[in-house]
Amino acid sequence: MNLTIDRRHFLGLMGATAAYPAMSRFAHAASPFNFQASWINDAEFMGYFLAADKGFYKEEGLELSYFSGGPDVIPESTIIAGKADLTLTTPDTTIKAIVEQNAPFKIIGAQYQKNPIGIVSLAKNPIKEPKDLIGKTLAVPPVNVISVEAMLKISGVDRAQVNIVPYAYDPTPLIKGEIDASLDFTTNVPFTIKQSGADAVSFLLYDFGFTIFNDTVVVTEEALKTKRKEIVAFLRASRKGWDENFKDPAAYPALLADSWFKGTGRSIDNEVYFNRAQKPLMETDGGIFSMSEDSIAANIEALAAVGIAAKREHFDTTVLEEI
Amino acid sequence: MAIEAIAARFSTLRNWLVLLVLWEICGRLQVIASGALPAPSSILMRLWIDRADYPPHILATLEGAGAGFLIGNSLAVAAGVLFALFPMAARLGRGVNIALFALPAIAISPLLVLTFSGATPRIILAAIGCYFVTMSSTVTGISQTDARMIDVIRAYGGGRWSILALAQMRSALPAILSGLRIAAPNAVLGSILAEFGGGGRFGLGVYLLGSLGRAEPDRLWGIGLAATLIAGLAYALFSLIAVRFTGATKAVTVPATAPGGEATSWPLWLRLLLSTGSILIPIALWWLLLIAMGTPAMIAKTPVGLFEYLFLLPNSGVSQMKLLAALGQTLPLTIVGMALGIAFAFGLALMSVLRPGIIRGFMPVALVTQTMPLVALTPLLVLMLGRGPSVILWITISVTFFPAFVTMAQGLSMVPRAALDVPRAYGASLFTQLRLVSVPASLPYLFAATRLAVPRALLGVMIAEWLATGTGLGNLLNQSRGYLDYGMIWAVAVVSVLMSVVFYQCVVLIERPVLARRGMHAAQ
Repeated sequence: MNLTIDRRHFLGLMGATAAYPAMSRFAHAASPFNFQASWINDAEFMGYFLAADKGFYKEEGLELSYFSGGPDVIPESTIIAGKADLTLTTPDTTIKAIVEQNAPFKIIGAQYQKNPIGIVSLAKNPIKEPKDLIGKTLAVPPVNVISVEAMLKISGVDRAQVNIVPYAYDPTPLIKGEIDASLDFTTNVPFTIKQSGADAVSFLLYDFGFTIFNDTVVVTEEALKTKRKEIVAFLRASRKGWDENFKDPAAYPALLADSWFKGTGRSIDNEVYFNRAQKPLMETDGGIFSMSEDSIAANIEALAAVGIAAKREHFDTTVLEEI
Repeated sequence: MAIEAIAARFSTLRNWLVLLVLWEICGRLQVIASGALPAPSSILMRLWIDRADYPPHILATLEGAGAGFLIGNSLAVAAGVLFALFPMAARLGRGVNIALFALPAIAISPLLVLTFSGATPRIILAAIGCYFVTMSSTVTGISQTDARMIDVIRAYGGGRWSILALAQMRSALPAILSGLRIAAPNAVLGSILAEFGGGGRFGLGVYLLGSLGRAEPDRLWGIGLAATLIAGLAYALFSLIAVRFTGATKAVTVPATAPGGEATSWPLWLRLLLSTGSILIPIALWWLLLIAMGTPAMIAKTPVGLFEYLFLLPNSGVSQMKLLAALGQTLPLTIVGMALGIAFAFGLALMSVLRPGIIRGFMPVALVTQTMPLVALTPLLVLMLGRGPSVILWITISVTFFPAFVTMAQGLSMVPRAALDVPRAYGASLFTQLRLVSVPASLPYLFAATRLAVPRALLGVMIAEWLATGTGLGNLLNQSRGYLDYGMIWAVAVVSVLMSVVFYQCVVLIERPVLARRGMHAAQ
């Protein structure tokens, strides 16, 4: 008897560190829904934090468990393994997996209409367009090399003329001039560079032909059949959260300083910068998450340039219609 | 004597102080890597500013590392006893031991995150970091028991368990404790590595990941310092305990007989059977674990799935080429890095006898290199060393030398006093004592240290490839993770384990005849 309690208590403690925040504060009549984010807690996920704090998920009858991401967390894997019901991905990797490995994924929405990933450089050594990269050293996370190669190809720059090295999350080599540019979220790194006393220049891969979404909302075909109601409810509540957030993108991050952003190592000023910068990349006529036929066609075209045979059927817009 | 001891302690303190002042000056003047190395004072100030952030992260790391330390070491001591007492079990368990030992943490971490959830990957990685060190120290300790002690217990009618409890465990204790003090920082590092990748909310690894994007080296060094402090305290604790026990149980005279002496004259068929079994068991465990966890086949590759991926699919040719090309880049650097790391460790171990003061002064620096997360050091190293082979070699040496050094120094300090009295009586210099007695007498530890260095060298090369150069297996692994190329993730993990195992076997092949000629037994 004692042993059981102790072990439970112990496991509970262990679990609490990982699956914070505990879901117990939501009504237990609601259906459990697991959401795997694609990165650590930052402004990229403001809408979901607000929707949770304002009770939007609860109103929709969902008991949300939010899992933060990290470098080893492959978002798509968590939905295959059944650890999450819904996740955010990059469309290139997701569609590559559908095409090459018959992965049972459906893209049902897109958080970023324009991928925030871009080339960031210092104003004193500016790289304003792909052609400026010739003869320069560019740091790219290994995951994104494929996207950069696509952008170079579309812009007619020979891949061999750009020295691509790994980017290890830390902009110090860029600030110190060891590299000329790096690939990162343009919503984020320019802030850090400004903090260090330099000025940043950046451009989006999107604006140079690599016209893809980012943080595409992905579920398994199975979940789409069995949990469709919950998925629609999640999207509806999340859209409300994002709309609320964009009413005042400068004010909301501070309200989360002691909860979602506690101890992340990042500053609230940074989140405010991020939150403002991402607004134009997300807002669209159809409402947050929508995927217009034009933008889907643009995605398919851009992905074809990297040899990923995306098809219209990989995108499912019917769920959005039900919001 | 007392005055000498005080003087030695004073000179150590003085060396530390000199190092600190040098560091402060370099940091203040931004001499190193155009200011990427922060001064100690700015690290401390930053720590003070960030003090409210730390408690939940440190607590989470302690939980992961602590649980892993307990689980890993309990299994390790139990397994060590089993292997020392039953040679057949040791033979069968060999495959699992070497495989567990050789698992490169950066290859296994994504697999753990795929397969398990919550804090489990942290605990497993911490436990794996502890297992082999402690298990092999236990076996070493038990097998080096003075045979005369065993004879005494046998003569009084003691059975196998009395021998174990009264002689073998007692004589193994110093070795186990020295294993634990390496295991402790390993557990902390294992947990932090899994935290870094695994997507939890708290833990020093999570804090590090969030802080990396800020380009504030003083914060990163602060986190490294916190990790170092935890690991260092654990190391100090077990060192302290070790010193107390070693003093009481160190052999005062030389055993007249070779230790151990278990017969290994098994028939050929039995040896073949055991060898085959030891190779099959890790493969069977890999397979069974995946079935037990119920991980979908797309993510989790069983041996059959991996074979299919590498040989039977239409894309297999491309996969093979990619893997071989990466291996061709990683392999040579691993060999060179390993050799340099071992040479450096041996040099340090000799210095620890010849000039203990310098080594004591160097120890804090050595410990920092072990616990300062490499991902936080990479910008600094890249700025100092560029992105060529030299940065790979330096990183490899830095992750290789420490465990090898500790093991070698342990071997040198365990040399029986009486054996040293002979050359001393003839007025031999310290160097001659080392050459004639200490180094030959500690050969089993030298080989054990070399074996320890094998997978660490591979780990160092792969981390450097991943973070700095974008080449070889380290880069391939990370890229495959991004492309959801699960087959390649598993292939890289398995190839790196196999590579470690082959190196390991090479060391064993040299070790056996060398030790046998001297009537010694391998420190398993």
